[in-house]
Amino acid sequence: MLSFILRRLLIIIPMALLVVTVTWGLIRIAPGNFYSSEKKLPAAVEANIQKKYGLDKPWYQQYGIMMLNILKLDFGDSLKYQGQSVNEIIRRHLPYSATVGILAYLLALAIGLTAGIIAALKQNSAFDYGSMALAMLGLSLPNFVLGPILVLAFALGLYILPPARWGGISSLILPVITLAAIYMAYIARLTRAGMLEVMRSDYIRTARAKGLDEKTVLLKHGLRGGIIPVVSFTGPALASLLAGTVVVEKVFAIPGLGNIFIQAVLNRDEPLILGIVAFLSILIMIFNLAVDISYGFLDPRIRYE
Amino acid sequence: MARINFKQYRLVIALIILSSFLASCTSSATSRYFGQTAAPQDNVLRYVTGSEPESLDTQFVTGQPEARIMMALYDGLVEYHPKTMEPIPAIAESWEIGTDGTEYLFHLRKNAKFSNGDPITAKDFVYTFRRGLTPEFAARNAYLAYYLKYAEAYNSGQSFVKDASGQFLLKKDFAEPNPNQPAETAAPSQHDTLGGDSEFHRFLDSPERLYVPSDEKARAKILEKDAKLKAALEGKELVPVKAEDIGIEAVDDYTVRIKLYQPAPFFLGLLGLLDGIEFYPLDEQTTMMNLYKAGRVDALYNHTVPAAWNENIRQYKDEYLLHPEVATEFYVISVKKPPMDNLKVRQAFALAINREALAEFRKTIKPLTDMTPEGIFPKYEEARKKVYAEKLKENNIPPEEWAKRIFDPEKARKLMTEAGYPVQKSGSGYSTPTFPVDKVSITYNTAESNKAVAEFVQAQWKQNLGITVPLKNLEFKTYLPMLSAVEYEGFGRRGWVGDYMDPFTFLGLFYTTVNEGATGWWDPKYDAILNEANNTVDPQKRFEKLAEAEFYLAQQQIVIPLSTAGTSWMKKPYVKGFYPNPGTMHAWKFVYIERDANKWDANVDNIMKDSDPAVDAQISLLTATQEQMEKSKTTETDKVTAAAAE
Repeated sequence: MLSFILRRLLIIIPMALLVVTVTWGLIRIAPGNFYSSEKKLPAAVEANIQKKYGLDKPWYQQYGIMMLNILKLDFGDSLKYQGQSVNEIIRRHLPYSATVGILAYLLALAIGLTAGIIAALKQNSAFDYGSMALAMLGLSLPNFVLGPILVLAFALGLYILPPARWGGISSLILPVITLAAIYMAYIARLTRAGMLEVMRSDYIRTARAKGLDEKTVLLKHGLRGGIIPVVSFTGPALASLLAGTVVVEKVFAIPGLGNIFIQAVLNRDEPLILGIVAFLSILIMIFNLAVDISYGFLDPRIRYE
Repeated sequence: MARINFKQYRLVIALIILSSFLASCTSSATSRYFGQTAAPQDNVLRYVTGSEPESLDTQFVTGQPEARIMMALYDGLVEYHPKTMEPIPAIAESWEIGTDGTEYLFHLRKNAKFSNGDPITAKDFVYTFRRGLTPEFAARNAYLAYYLKYAEAYNSGQSFVKDASGQFLLKKDFAEPNPNQPAETAAPSQHDTLGGDSEFHRFLDSPERLYVPSDEKARAKILEKDAKLKAALEGKELVPVKAEDIGIEAVDDYTVRIKLYQPAPFFLGLLGLLDGIEFYPLDEQTTMMNLYKAGRVDALYNHTVPAAWNENIRQYKDEYLLHPEVATEFYVISVKKPPMDNLKVRQAFALAINREALAEFRKTIKPLTDMTPEGIFPKYEEARKKVYAEKLKENNIPPEEWAKRIFDPEKARKLMTEAGYPVQKSGSGYSTPTFPVDKVSITYNTAESNKAVAEFVQAQWKQNLGITVPLKNLEFKTYLPMLSAVEYEGFGRRGWVGDYMDPFTFLGLFYTTVNEGATGWWDPKYDAILNEANNTVDPQKRFEKLAEAEFYLAQQQIVIPLSTAGTSWMKKPYVKGFYPNPGTMHAWKFVYIERDANKWDANVDNIMKDSDPAVDAQISLLTATQEQMEKSKTTETDKVTAAAAE
């Protein structure tokens, strides 16, 4: 088990460097640069900029310098936001995305799991049909529709919640619900399907035959197997929730990482793009590892050598 | 990472349309104001300024969102007039201009202070100019200060050339025809002694020194082409141009002298009545409109009312500001590639667009047939009217025909036929079967509004010429290099916002071979007219020369002008002294919050005409000294004239 975890952790480093290299190549292939605008700069001004940012050096030198710095976990300064290091920008914007993301994750997990389990236990009941229909709606209603509808109702109709911007708990309610909706629906459906399958399996029958009461059967044996698909879904989902989601951040004007990332790409802000890409890829790999480890605890049949 | 992709980003646009549709259904027009309207408790303005600021360093940033924040943080020598954007005194309480218009002397207020209490002196301005031009600092807007003597030489790392006797070589002795460098005024200007004389002043007034790149490689490149220069440089010492050589001097603690190459074509604070401003860096239109409606922000920046909301919003006469802007939209033409190398083809396309219908369709713009925006430079337009009348007579163009430039489909078809692509009647429309439609397209950077305009123009050309020009859209940063290399075929979309309040900021797009206009067109004759204009001191005569250049440009039809932009933004009626000036650059010292609802702004269509005593009082506080000085000068001249008459 330990060697498995170590092996996986070690592999994260070359993988992240590979991701960074590919991204770097893609940025370099893309036309345009960070300082271009509708105004054409005089050659002298352009030369000064190139020199200042080391763009006058050959590409392999630029790549080498960049990689060496990245190995030292230094992504350098943003090209767009002067005097701000990439690390600083990520550190500043991550908390906003993470707060909304974690709250949305917890909300989705709480409601999704409960609804899924009840629906599975009371299969084909009114609750089952009702909650699954709602889940279907949640899945098919994208957040760029749900968000504005919520704003329209609660912020511009009733004037009880702020329509956008960060500030106080009241400003979190709408974005968290908007973000959670789709995950909630997904988790509910996955839980229901997982539970239905597990509850028909032999070991549940055995547990019942042993004379365990229904509550223990359900929570100790059923749930552990039933939520494996949910766990494999929520691992990477949590990573992307933490990193921020562009649509919700745009609609609610949340100064999160997702928005910054998109802007960085549009601005051709190379260090910032690479920094966020590296950060996200490491985050996703760690969460995937966590998911894989948790399998071992959830399902005794899974063992790691 | 699947959650962050461009497809979703595009969905954001869909969201704007959808939610704006929803919103326009629900909001009722029965109330006088849009949404919640109550003056804030504290004396603090909440203003949406656009995207995240790049920096708070004035010399680093280039965008409008930042500029508006800077104007609340720093004061300059001069300030924008809140309505006209003309320069009015700020830290400089008055100024004098030398006889040939190349020398400026600014007298600073003696009570101007930094926020830490230190006095602001002339040295601080000198430092600022030098800092912004330092090559290592690499300011993107450094070239805006290239009008200062030796500013470009310093910023681009050049060296003066000194011979053994300590004499510097002069530029006029090596006058090479360089189209990028405006010719030095032929007659050496008379020595102005504004603010007294000094060694540095004489240095600035002396003939321009020759300078060559300090970098050996760059120098070799130039010398290769110029044998005379190469010989002259032999054995001479190179002295790098220093920050101290730039044409700005602190004459004394409170006087700044600035020396330019040519007469300035233009020239260019803080919170006066407010306790503070909260800047909200937001660029999502629907989100900011929601905040505005919910009464959580007081004002927005320009072009923020989504197209779908416009119909509903324009009813709010006390809040919606639609005034002309110092900004234009036009299509540039790739003139080097056939069939667009044919002037008649270009003219045909230009005449076949119904600009009035376009303006009606877009709602916030005005039709445009020239390079400079309509209704922004009234004095220039006066001069232009006169020059155009003369030029039309000279070229035997009937004025009615000239007036029909705005839309003349019949002439368009005639020109197209003359160009060798006969336009035939087919059914209810037209067709031009021989036109090589695969050689042209309308290329634009991805944006909802650009798409709408491109589709409109496409439909017009199909209807009036029978030519269906394909559309191509590209992400902004991908589009830019294509434009500047003139790699697009046919037509490319451009929008241009004036840097300063002068027609040259538009006409200069096609000045010199830099090809900023991105058409591939360059004409020394055009440059000559502009040079002549910019060496003219008398403003009205200068305008006439500029108008001549604009007429020349119009005849070449290297661009298809489409529209003058409109400001299109909203402010709550209790925010006063806040004007829809042509550049959306707000002098915050005139803005205030009015608590008395009877004094709130009403019908803001007239806001530029209505006078506001509170604002006028602020302006006269600033302009008193300058006005006094000008008055005393006129009386002096009167005395001299009177004496001469005697």
